[in-house]
Amino acid sequence: MALKLYLDRMSQPSRAILTFCKVNGIEFEEVKIELAKLQNYSPEYAEVNPMKQVPAIVHGEFKLFESHAILIYLASAFSGVADHWYPADIQKRAKIHSVLDWHHSNLRRGSATYIFNTNIALALGQPLNLEAAAEGEKILIASLAKIESFWLQDDKPFLLGNSQPSIADLSMACEVMQLEVADTKDRDRILGPRKRILKWVDDTKNATAPYFEEIHSIIYPTKEKLQKLKSMAAKKEPQSIGEPA
Amino acid sequence: MKNLGNQTHPNRKCSWNSSPPQPNSSSKKGEMTLKVYADRMSQPSRAVIIFCKLNGIDFEEVKIDISKRQHLTPEFQEINPMKKVPAIVDGRFKLFESHAIMIYLAYVFPGVADHWYPADVSKRAKIHSVLDWHHSNLRYGAVTYVLSSTLGPALGRPLNPKAAAEAEKILSESLAKIESFWLKGNGRFLLGSLQPSIADLSLVCEIMQLEVVNEKDRDRILGPHTRVLKWIDDTKNATRPHFDEVHSILFKVKEKLKRMKSGGAKDETQFTTKTALPSKM
Repeated sequence: MALKLYLDRMSQPSRAILTFCKVNGIEFEEVKIELAKLQNYSPEYAEVNPMKQVPAIVHGEFKLFESHAILIYLASAFSGVADHWYPADIQKRAKIHSVLDWHHSNLRRGSATYIFNTNIALALGQPLNLEAAAEGEKILIASLAKIESFWLQDDKPFLLGNSQPSIADLSMACEVMQLEVADTKDRDRILGPRKRILKWVDDTKNATAPYFEEIHSIIYPTKEKLQKLKSMAAKKEPQSIGEPA
Repeated sequence: MKNLGNQTHPNRKCSWNSSPPQPNSSSKKGEMTLKVYADRMSQPSRAVIIFCKLNGIDFEEVKIDISKRQHLTPEFQEINPMKKVPAIVDGRFKLFESHAIMIYLAYVFPGVADHWYPADVSKRAKIHSVLDWHHSNLRYGAVTYVLSSTLGPALGRPLNPKAAAEAEKILSESLAKIESFWLKGNGRFLLGSLQPSIADLSLVCEIMQLEVVNEKDRDRILGPHTRVLKWIDDTKNATRPHFDEVHSILFKVKEKLKRMKSGGAKDETQFTTKTALPSKM
């Protein structure tokens, strides 16, 4: 049964799904849905995901969206996915559900709000909103602190005191990587002091080598493009939004 | 694709791959009582309590009154360092986040019917999908709207009409999406199901919070969504008498708020934590 992944590699949850499939040798076809070109609003894509967001999958005739649901489904439906990604042990599994749920309203909300309102909005033809960004930053900083003080344990590399990564590590490490799109001085201010987090992202990268690094290589050219858009906006010149649609 | 169908083990739902079910010391009834830390003014707390009662799960309800700041005590922080309700302790196992809790309880307690959290991988995936969508859509809109328009002062936060208006947009869009997408299909419940799942419980408890809001606002927001209103009713009927009993606190709070308003409270900021309400969100 064919598996199609509808992704934009600039979307953090898209990258988590892509890394997961590659690491686990799951065959798939990647269908690029470019948010900057508003391709998620096409009528064809609405058939795949009426919420018009990425990622989404189609497996045979089965459609699914929301990245955590997708990761769990793929871990369950494909044999050969090692247990540590989504353990059969009920208590370990429950803890993964717990951190993935926490993620929505904490790290994701904070990080996505901050990055959108300081950077990504420009790529989608919208203005920056520094007040919203400040609110997002507060939640982001509190979330990073909670990851360091609670979700990560000093003696084990991965979330929840695990020795090997789970889908939660993938989901949340991809979220943290999005901060690399920010201005270097902001990124250093927010992430620089977080040594335990930086180590955890590195451990996740190494555990999923070479895919995590390869998939995240899009971040750096995107950062440059965004810097250009920002300096153009600052000079109040007409903006071009990436490549023409 | 794996499809494990019905459970085969009397005490446990199927695990997903070939490794055998693992022993869990608290899976036997009566061995160590499950504790549920809840405030019935909290929507996810109500969902967990109703789920337990419906499924005959023995538990001790430990009331954590948010309006009295009991979630901020050092004792409760030991239970849940995020200082939120609901949380559970099962033997020595602690867990928070209501969706994670209901999934865990569906796994470990005997007698939980399959429709609450089906063993079928695809059905289960759809439940995860709507529960995830819920966080950033219905819940986000509803919580912000209710706090900003009504309950904020009970928790030491000012009313905020601008935030309420923005939240109402998200709430209304979410209700429209439930009506047009999540309730599509032959069944009376979410995802076209003939019977309720944990997703129905979670989302309906969320919408019930609107009961404390000014009636004309509630009617404006909910009124157009007749399919949603029917679904709420169907969920109440499928979970009686527990649904109404667990929600009785909301109606008490609603009456109290009405009395305060007609008693001449010109300014809703007079509704502060010093006002004696049985329990507040």
